[in-house]
Amino acid sequence: MTTLKTYLYDEHLKLGAKIVPFAGWDMPVQYTSVKDEVLAVRQNVGVFDVSHMGEFFVEGEDAEQFVDAVLTNDIINAPMAKAVYSPLCRDNGTVIDDLIVYKLAPGRIMICVNASNTDKDFNWIKSKHVGYKCSLTNRSNDFSLLAVQGPKTYETLRPLFSELPDIEYYSVYETTFEGESVIAARTGYTGEDGFEIFGRHETIKALWQKLISLRVTPCGLAARDVLRLEVGYPLYGHEINDETTPYDAGLGWAVKHSKTKFIGKEALADKKANYKTIKLILDRGIPREGYPVLNSANEPIGIITSGTMSVVLNKGIAMARIQIDKVPTDEVALVDIRQKPYPAQITKKPFVTGGHK
Amino acid sequence: MATNIPGNLKYTKEHEWTLIEGDTVTIGITDFAQSALGDIVFLEVPEVGTHLNAGATFGVVESIKSVSDLYSPITGEVVARNSDLEGSPEKINDDAYGSWLIKVKANNTSEFNNLLSAEQYQEFCNSSH
Repeated sequence: MTTLKTYLYDEHLKLGAKIVPFAGWDMPVQYTSVKDEVLAVRQNVGVFDVSHMGEFFVEGEDAEQFVDAVLTNDIINAPMAKAVYSPLCRDNGTVIDDLIVYKLAPGRIMICVNASNTDKDFNWIKSKHVGYKCSLTNRSNDFSLLAVQGPKTYETLRPLFSELPDIEYYSVYETTFEGESVIAARTGYTGEDGFEIFGRHETIKALWQKLISLRVTPCGLAARDVLRLEVGYPLYGHEINDETTPYDAGLGWAVKHSKTKFIGKEALADKKANYKTIKLILDRGIPREGYPVLNSANEPIGIITSGTMSVVLNKGIAMARIQIDKVPTDEVALVDIRQKPYPAQITKKPFVTGGHK
Repeated sequence: MATNIPGNLKYTKEHEWTLIEGDTVTIGITDFAQSALGDIVFLEVPEVGTHLNAGATFGVVESIKSVSDLYSPITGEVVARNSDLEGSPEKINDDAYGSWLIKVKANNTSEFNNLLSAEQYQEFCNSSH
């Protein structure tokens, strides 16, 4: 199978990136050191090429009604220029993807989806696009996307654009870079303040080169995964998959039963979960995806869905999917690492508190 | 990838280096291996007295995002482990050949003939990556 390359592929090679296949794309996994890249985002500013992600546009007078009917979260009542995180469900309540809706203007919405799910999402949404006065287009091939993340993002970006107001977290602003239009959203997947900049390929390439010349740290997928896990964000294909519901993944907050209709509403009405997604922290040992989780009586209760060494804490951290009737009440679990049980503390709070606004 | 392969050591295709002194073999991972792994954050090696079989796994080395098995180059018994690396396995990134993992007393020194010379290991790295 041939893999796809983002428009910035040669830029990554120039910087010495290690390239790995991910979701059908050849993507930079790290440039220098995962640790240095994580710390750049926590303390300073880093940039990720996330052009593999998909972008759909919904345009026309029914755009809000259509997107609201497809997704579980409330789109209609969200203010204009806001971004809204939402699961996209099947009729049976299982999750097709999690995505972000950007309300660009009345009757004009952009949806950003996970790269691996772009076709699956588009086909599903298209199948529901009946009787609405709005267009639905997959413009994933027209856009490149940079995530600029870290406490110094705003001071770095502001001088580069014609205008860039200090907008709220999870909001969006259309502006220009070197005369070319871009969409600047105060979103990201690191827990830190940051912007995601969507634009045409050449525009985003010029922005990338500008940021690298300003010594913004290029960061790869490995750092991105550590960063999102440190702040406890779920990731499709790990905490969320085709068999889980939003309630299984702790995303019940993004299912709005107050809406008159949305796909999956009937199936999700009882708000019942088969699993609970929990966070684990270990003093010793590094939990990895697929490792079994045991209770203090050594009985299997679930599985690690994502795990890593935390760069900030220097401890093993993980998210785990636990059978709902087996969630430990004593806040303690064991992770089976190479047939040896390692004690883990169950924590409700994020492992690391990001600095986003 | 530019890599450092000292001529006085012997190597394995699993990217381990060995220093042979009599029937005792000091084992570590190569500069190529540490560079490929990235930031090393966890190391698990056997206790002194553990019996190892040539070709079998004897421990693991973990970077932030990966787990890699360590394979014993020879059959024998662990006679020492490097306590300097306990709590600071990142020293391997700084100096792969100065950061030995374990020393093993070989049962059969004829197994040493299976190890690669520096030239053979260099060729192996060039051809496989």
